[in-house]
Amino acid sequence: MSDNQIVVKNLTKLYPKVKAVDNVSFTVKPGEIFGLLGPNGAGKTTTIRLLMTLIKPTEGQINILGIDARSHPEKIRQFSGYVPQDVSIDSDLTGYENVLMYSKLYGIPGRGRKEAINEILDYLDMKERAKDMAGTYSGGMMRRLEIAQALVNRPKLLFLDEPSIGLDPGAKRVIWELIKNLREEFGTIVFINTHDMIEADTLCDRIGIMEKGKLVIIGPPSELKAKVGGDVLTITSKKPGLMDAVKKLGYNTITESANGQIDLLVDNGEKLIPQLVESLQAKGIEVESVSLKKPTLDDVFLKYTGARIESEDSTFKQVRQTRRTFRRMNK
Amino acid sequence: MTTAITRYFNSVFTLTEFELRKVRHDTSQIWLRLVQPALWLLVFGTVFSQIRGISTGDYSYLQFMTPGVLAQSVMFVAIFYGITVVWERDLGLLNKLLSTPAPRSAIVLGKALSAGVRGVFQAVAVMALALIIRVQLTLTVWSVLGVFAIIILFGMCFASLSMSLAPIFRTRERMMGIGQAITMPLFFASNAIYPISMMPSWLKPIVIINPLSYVVDAMRALLVTNDFSSLGIDILALLAATIVLVSLASIAFRKILS
Repeated sequence: MSDNQIVVKNLTKLYPKVKAVDNVSFTVKPGEIFGLLGPNGAGKTTTIRLLMTLIKPTEGQINILGIDARSHPEKIRQFSGYVPQDVSIDSDLTGYENVLMYSKLYGIPGRGRKEAINEILDYLDMKERAKDMAGTYSGGMMRRLEIAQALVNRPKLLFLDEPSIGLDPGAKRVIWELIKNLREEFGTIVFINTHDMIEADTLCDRIGIMEKGKLVIIGPPSELKAKVGGDVLTITSKKPGLMDAVKKLGYNTITESANGQIDLLVDNGEKLIPQLVESLQAKGIEVESVSLKKPTLDDVFLKYTGARIESEDSTFKQVRQTRRTFRRMNK
Repeated sequence: MTTAITRYFNSVFTLTEFELRKVRHDTSQIWLRLVQPALWLLVFGTVFSQIRGISTGDYSYLQFMTPGVLAQSVMFVAIFYGITVVWERDLGLLNKLLSTPAPRSAIVLGKALSAGVRGVFQAVAVMALALIIRVQLTLTVWSVLGVFAIIILFGMCFASLSMSLAPIFRTRERMMGIGQAITMPLFFASNAIYPISMMPSWLKPIVIINPLSYVVDAMRALLVTNDFSSLGIDILALLAATIVLVSLASIAFRKILS
């Protein structure tokens, strides 16, 4: 076994009508935050459930920390924590009880249990509300409580399915900080699923882009973005002759529209802007505006799959599920 | 090996413990579910005991039907508790529960036992109601404990029945329909509100395979007649049905998620 912590080989999961996961292989390294990025229905949740041993693969191998998922699923469940996409706390119990229940199910011995739970609730900054019914919590607190449940066993791996879905921007940031801290402080390997490009970009060391059950490409976000091929500069000018001048300067133009707007493909766009404006001015062309667009993971997604992540064609079930989650979290 | 068994039962009792905590946090369900048994006892029972159309031997009709109404109220609790499993799957609670090292059959058994325990609370409320309207019941420590034990088994049995049906019908709406569709026929095709001797002959075989009949018979023996001649058979029949249905539910449980 190499130093890889999760090794997935040729993983396939067939359902009667769809190939939910189609011949997927990847590895996750120690101390890494790894993310699967893709639209709803890409097979991310199925992949996480396969890794968590909640369902059995049709074909392929999963090996986590040297343990084969098919032969010892209970061992993998023992050292893994899981936060599903849907709200998974029991609203009819208090926050403390929600965590207590999981500590018992994980078989944590009675001695020191209370301290361990309080320590985690304290760490997640929810000690003051621990005695309140979980149903009265805000969306962000519910998410933190779910993470507390998953952390009570001090997992070596944490699986999070859409960790910030339905949260407002402030609560999102709190969750992201929390996940990063977990890695720093405890060396927890974090595996997330997300359809949120900003989340994938800010949180993950490496991401795998998934579409229609297939893993399209894997790499660090910065590397993937670099592969798209640089920044796009959009220049406008009221003076005629902009196109000729730009071409004479040797830039790679993509498009030109009628109202004197030109798109250029460049590297290090922000450094180039002053230089470009100056050289154009020297040629007597007054630049009216310049805008810079850095490539996003959506561009990466577009390049490799030919579609945008935020597509319109999600199924009724997905929409219903997402909205229900959202509603419950903002109750 | 022993640690595995301890772990197993720890998981079962953990689920039951937290069900009890939920009852403690919110008892409203018990009171709401008391409305129907109250109607049966106060309206149906009182009217029928005045008509004297149903011969119940040495006992009043209300005495005769109280164990039946008791069993019915527990049956409702148990059947609808099984339906909450579908609800929990939809909410994601089940996924999380299954991500723990707790064995799947322990989760099923824990859920079934929780239904049984909830049934006991319901039964206490119905018994209190019966006492308030002055139905004469044999209430000794042993008869009450015996009734509780039977209710726990019965709750496990019927919660398992509905958990076994969950992967077939899948949605909450359909499960609610199925819950309605099986509880009333089982109630009427039993000895809960009239003696078997009064039934048409085509109905009798159904009564005999209906677990509810044995439950009612056992509770009637303990609370009213004190005639324990068929108690052994009743308990054996109930135990057998419970074991079969819990096993079925454990097998079905794998399919609930997919």
